[in-house]
Amino acid sequence: MQPTELNGLNLKKLGEIVELGTKHPELVGQQFNNWKARVKWLGGFRSRAYIRDHAFLIDEPADLAGVDTSPNAVEYVLAALGACYSVGFTLNATKRGVKVDAMEVALEGRLDNVLTFFGFSKEGHPGYKEIKAKLFVKTSASEKVVNEIWQETIATSPVGNTLTRNVTIIPQISVAK
Amino acid sequence: MVGSWPRPDWLLGELKRKNSGEIGYEEFSAKADRAVLLSLKNQEDAGLDIVTDGEQRRDSFYSFVADKVAGIKLLTVSELIDYVEEKAMYERILRTLDVPAFAIKSPVAVGEIRRKTSLAADELRFLRKHTTRRIKVPLPGPFMLTRASWVEPLSRDAYRTREELAQAYVKLLHEEIIQLRDAGASFVQLDEPTLTEVVYGDANQTTFMCAAIMSKVDPKEELTFATGLINDAVKGITGIKIGVHICRGNWSRNDGALLTGDYSPLLPYLQEMKVNQLVLEFSTERAGSLSVFDGAADGKEIGLGVVNPRSDRVETTEEIVAKAKEATKYFDPSRIYLNPDCGFATFAEVPLNAAETAQRKLSNMAKAAIELRREYA
Repeated sequence: MQPTELNGLNLKKLGEIVELGTKHPELVGQQFNNWKARVKWLGGFRSRAYIRDHAFLIDEPADLAGVDTSPNAVEYVLAALGACYSVGFTLNATKRGVKVDAMEVALEGRLDNVLTFFGFSKEGHPGYKEIKAKLFVKTSASEKVVNEIWQETIATSPVGNTLTRNVTIIPQISVAK
Repeated sequence: MVGSWPRPDWLLGELKRKNSGEIGYEEFSAKADRAVLLSLKNQEDAGLDIVTDGEQRRDSFYSFVADKVAGIKLLTVSELIDYVEEKAMYERILRTLDVPAFAIKSPVAVGEIRRKTSLAADELRFLRKHTTRRIKVPLPGPFMLTRASWVEPLSRDAYRTREELAQAYVKLLHEEIIQLRDAGASFVQLDEPTLTEVVYGDANQTTFMCAAIMSKVDPKEELTFATGLINDAVKGITGIKIGVHICRGNWSRNDGALLTGDYSPLLPYLQEMKVNQLVLEFSTERAGSLSVFDGAADGKEIGLGVVNPRSDRVETTEEIVAKAKEATKYFDPSRIYLNPDCGFATFAEVPLNAAETAQRKLSNMAKAAIELRREYA
């Protein structure tokens, strides 16, 4: 009997997505190319993000005049990258029939020059200059296969590509009186 | 020996099968018999008078209790982190050690503690069949078990407080020591490595020495608590030698990742412990000077650490003799025993030395003992 599940993924559902993507790539594009979020200011440095039926807080550490009720926005970027790698590795491993027993991504980012954010400096920029992402994975697959899956994951990561390519941000403003 | 011996690769394969649930403890243990005999042969060939089974049936010196005690579950730090408040501290430690949270396991009290079977009677029974030498059985001490396994949100259903859980371990170990004595063990060693973490594990040096998941508490209170537990566990037991082993971590060859500091902050508590022998590191410089025991030996024996289990260099007989002679300034020569600083593979999957090197270290240690006996007879 064929297994119905691998790495916590429903193989039938995954098969349907692969089939749809192969036969009707335009439908997959329509459904999954666009993403939305709304962020509400709560006062101070706190905000709450609403995404589909989900909500989460964003704050700053107390050292930065926040209340430290939750991670800050740049930390969420690291988490988003880690989660994206985790999703990608699971997808690529499952497509190859590789069982993942445990996995963690440890991330560490260094801003180019945080002083520019505070207006204390004109040098450099306040964005990340470098992010280290280390994958810890427990699997019986060979090191060669694991490395191939990791490379595929890095190459096809939406968040990874967002961070490594230029993204056009279209700022707009609406002022209420 | 302090306890552990490097496991052969094939045994590590079987251990993985056991940990994944593919085989049970009994099947694993039957396969481990051959590894125990190899470990024993190494010790006997080296000339040791007191031997252990090399902890070949254990995945670590303390987490093996999950196989033997009801109410204990082996959980990874990955599973535990949601229950601890100081998540940032654990993140710092994981980064320092450069390990994933899923790789570190700790036995956690999730129910009422009860021996399903003896912790080590099976190990002792097998060893007794195959050697006439005196047998030491290392057991995790009551403080270390409490410290490692008390995770309040998971443990409080069975025990209202950490102290209640500790008393359950005291009772369990008391019964265990008596059982091992009656089954022919010469020596039971209570491993209490986290005592040094209490003293030297500051915010930047906190470690997963034993995956101890708990908040920082006052060191003096903690040491008093630990001493009381050890004394309660051994209370009234005669007819067997009982020791306490203390080290500063033994999971890495990187000395920077291990703790540093001499025995002086521990000394008043060591003196209070109603045990026969203190099994202490002294080969590593991180343990400081023997001179802290000046006038403080208090009639106890010392298991003197004279070889480093984490180094490739084999200590010479002359060096070992010199270290023992230094100890005679503070301990009666008849009360000095030679041993390595710690086990050679405290954690099964992290052996600290090749069996061949470990054997050469033990061999020089045994030669040094012969020389010293001749001189001090």
